[in-house]
Amino acid sequence: MGLREYVIRRSIYMFLLVVAVVCFNFFLFRLPTLLLGVSPVDLMVSEELRRQLTREVLEGLYSRFGLVPDPDIFDWIYMFWRYIVNMFTGNFGISFVSQRPVMTEIMARLPNTLLLMGTSAIVAIILGIWTGVKVAADPGSRKDVGAVTVALFIYSLPIFWLGMMLLMTFSFYLPAVTNDLISFPLGGTIDYQIWVAAKSSPFGGLIIAADIIHHLMLPMITLGIGGYGGYFLYMRNNLIDVMTEDYILTARAKGLDENQVLYKHGLKNAMLPMVTIIAMTFGFLINGATLTETVFNWYGLGRFIFDSLVILDYPVVQAIFMIIAITAILANFIADLLYGVLDPRIKYG
Amino acid sequence: MSEDTSSRTSRWKDSGWYISLSGFMKEYRKHRVGILGLAVLFLFIGMAIGAPLIAEHDPDPAAKVAPAFLAPQWVSVFDPEGVVSQEYLPDPYLNDPEQHEFVAQGMNADEFTYVHYVDDPGDEDDFSHINITWSHTPGPMFWRVPPDPTQNLPDSLDMGYVIQTLEWEDEALPSDANMTIDVAVTRTGDFNTEEGALMFKVYAWLVDSSGHWEKIFQSFTPYPDGYIDRREDLSYYDIIAGWGGMIDEGEGQEDPDDTLQVVVGIAPTYVFRNYFGTSPQSNYTGTVTVSLRRVSMFAYGEYFGILGTTDKGADAWAQLIYGSRISLTIGVLATGLATIVGVIVGLTAGYFGGKTDEILMRIVDFLLVIPGLPLMMVMAAFLGPSVENIIIVISIFAWTPASRLIRSQVMAEKNKAYVESARAIGASDTYIIFRHILPNVTPILFANITLGVVGAILSESGLAFLGLTDPGLPSWGRMLADAQGTGGFSNGAWWVVVFPGLMITLLSLAFTFIGHTLDQVLNPRLRER
Repeated sequence: MGLREYVIRRSIYMFLLVVAVVCFNFFLFRLPTLLLGVSPVDLMVSEELRRQLTREVLEGLYSRFGLVPDPDIFDWIYMFWRYIVNMFTGNFGISFVSQRPVMTEIMARLPNTLLLMGTSAIVAIILGIWTGVKVAADPGSRKDVGAVTVALFIYSLPIFWLGMMLLMTFSFYLPAVTNDLISFPLGGTIDYQIWVAAKSSPFGGLIIAADIIHHLMLPMITLGIGGYGGYFLYMRNNLIDVMTEDYILTARAKGLDENQVLYKHGLKNAMLPMVTIIAMTFGFLINGATLTETVFNWYGLGRFIFDSLVILDYPVVQAIFMIIAITAILANFIADLLYGVLDPRIKYG
Repeated sequence: MSEDTSSRTSRWKDSGWYISLSGFMKEYRKHRVGILGLAVLFLFIGMAIGAPLIAEHDPDPAAKVAPAFLAPQWVSVFDPEGVVSQEYLPDPYLNDPEQHEFVAQGMNADEFTYVHYVDDPGDEDDFSHINITWSHTPGPMFWRVPPDPTQNLPDSLDMGYVIQTLEWEDEALPSDANMTIDVAVTRTGDFNTEEGALMFKVYAWLVDSSGHWEKIFQSFTPYPDGYIDRREDLSYYDIIAGWGGMIDEGEGQEDPDDTLQVVVGIAPTYVFRNYFGTSPQSNYTGTVTVSLRRVSMFAYGEYFGILGTTDKGADAWAQLIYGSRISLTIGVLATGLATIVGVIVGLTAGYFGGKTDEILMRIVDFLLVIPGLPLMMVMAAFLGPSVENIIIVISIFAWTPASRLIRSQVMAEKNKAYVESARAIGASDTYIIFRHILPNVTPILFANITLGVVGAILSESGLAFLGLTDPGLPSWGRMLADAQGTGGFSNGAWWVVVFPGLMITLLSLAFTFIGHTLDQVLNPRLRER
């Protein structure tokens, strides 16, 4: 099977997955309506008010959320059709709470999430690869055992708790001890007062950037540490595996010095699976990190999906869910293709 | 991790390690982290089982036992001035007659009698108690009513009471105090038959050394049947009246010394003189006895218990101990469920192949691309917060790795000669799967299972942190959520932040270490290296 056929096959398969996710999403968020007969309109309109409203007004309210009052089977089919059309045209409806289009709400938070997740992923990947290579050169050494233990420790660490500990240390106790010399904000993305002040300053952009970085530091370190363990272990194990291959033996036999063997022959080959993992990571960036964002009060998508879920703002949850699932499928697809392109030894099938 | 790989012999594995458990243990024992993990795990299991013995207070997160955010008691080492939360009466269970003084006062003081019964240690059903009895002889009596019947004194000068004295050496008020009295009232004669109002009431006062009486308890109808446990939370005014005089605020103390008397007693009420026009005092015969078996004054300072209190004033130590139950239960059961599903799916897909394999693996792929935590949140919110639902929600995502692992192993095993020969002699598919293939692929599974438990424990704590688990059950994630939601550390309450997270980490670390060691011992690919 050639590359072209492989791409076509993967594309069809990806399309089927998207369809499955879309259908799943539809039923998941209508489960309460299906099982309990509770619709979002019931949450907004009290029983008393409902009796006073005319049928037309009620139907208008329902249709705003893509629903029909007291649906029968045909209404369900109609709702499903409307949902499909809306999903593929990017019309995700209106948030129950803010009464603004869901897309606007998501777009307002997307940059924050991408900033936080992107920077922390980059830090974690660079550190993970770097230390992984250092340690894999000499497996079983004291350094290696120590690093692996640290990685296992990170693996068992609840990351949101790490965030709380950092927050407590750097935003509460250290400022108190050092008289605000070392101080990080207790939460949020940007300081309103600094933002207002920066607007009238000639260096406004710089001030705002500095303030955002100031807010970004702690959550970024938290997520960076959280991601580091996985990349480190993956890199280390890959490289150790590769270093047992015959071509490494050949390289050594040629009399190359150990650094050249490690970086030129070992690392290049060990990086291949790493690349797909990294591609996947960037696909999952949009997920945000609900727990860490909640701890740091970060104005991002991860916290948004949870906050919306708590107040039963279904259009928002449904839309974010949809977007992150499709991004993940796409990232998976790209990672698959990338692997095929980068490693000529792969046979498509 | 394993410096000793080269020196390891491979004798035990050739003889079929799964038969010889001792060989496996010999191998396992070489890994120090594995032993450490097992030790910590047993510690946690002991904690979960022995929770009622280790923690005395109610683990319910809403059960208030003390003021909010009190620091652990051992922190008071750094703060000698601080008030420690403890029992301040010298003899709350009334075992020592020396500590109690009986006083009968008023014009009819001779009607009061006092008995202090001290428990005989040999008799188990018995307990120390104090009885104060009013034995009434009918007839006209002289009464003297207090000249200015204030709120704090009964409307009769006749009183019989016992005094216990507490010492307060700290120069600070307690942040809260509560008094517990275990009291019963027994009546004989006319006092027993006549219902309606209370002829006698039980009172409790705080009497400071300058002579001010502050009433903190008085009984209401009806008289209790048998002993009842009355717990009175003292109001701020009670605390000021009782302790205020003992605090030196730079101008010396208002009260001459650092003692406070806790007085519990009995006194007749006005109904005894005039009850709807009749006069019970002149025609009643019989006795009224108040029996005390416990008088306790628990005062709270800035310090409480082993681990302080939470935002709701619940005991953090009890929650921490009981939290191990939830984490272990959910971690083990969710992983167990996931493993069963994963093994069945993996065996079916790998053994039968073809269409079955295709469909099952597409489901696995689907679950792998769906974002985990958001879907868990949605499902937990829809299904409700019970423990079973959390287990189901966690295991929905946890079974895929096991199924993939088993599938690939089965695909490698199923074409081997021993399966062929089993099939040739007419063994059924189920027989081959469970008797031949499963035993050969299980070792691979063990490391996977232990690492799965880590994931389940962390997922549970995350869901609890978001408030999606049962709010009535003490769990570590829930403690962290409370600490976060109520500004635990902006109140300086670091103990509600540090310890629950530490417990989650330790328990997961124990499983991680065990899993890692099992991987080293059982995974042939790693072992050869």
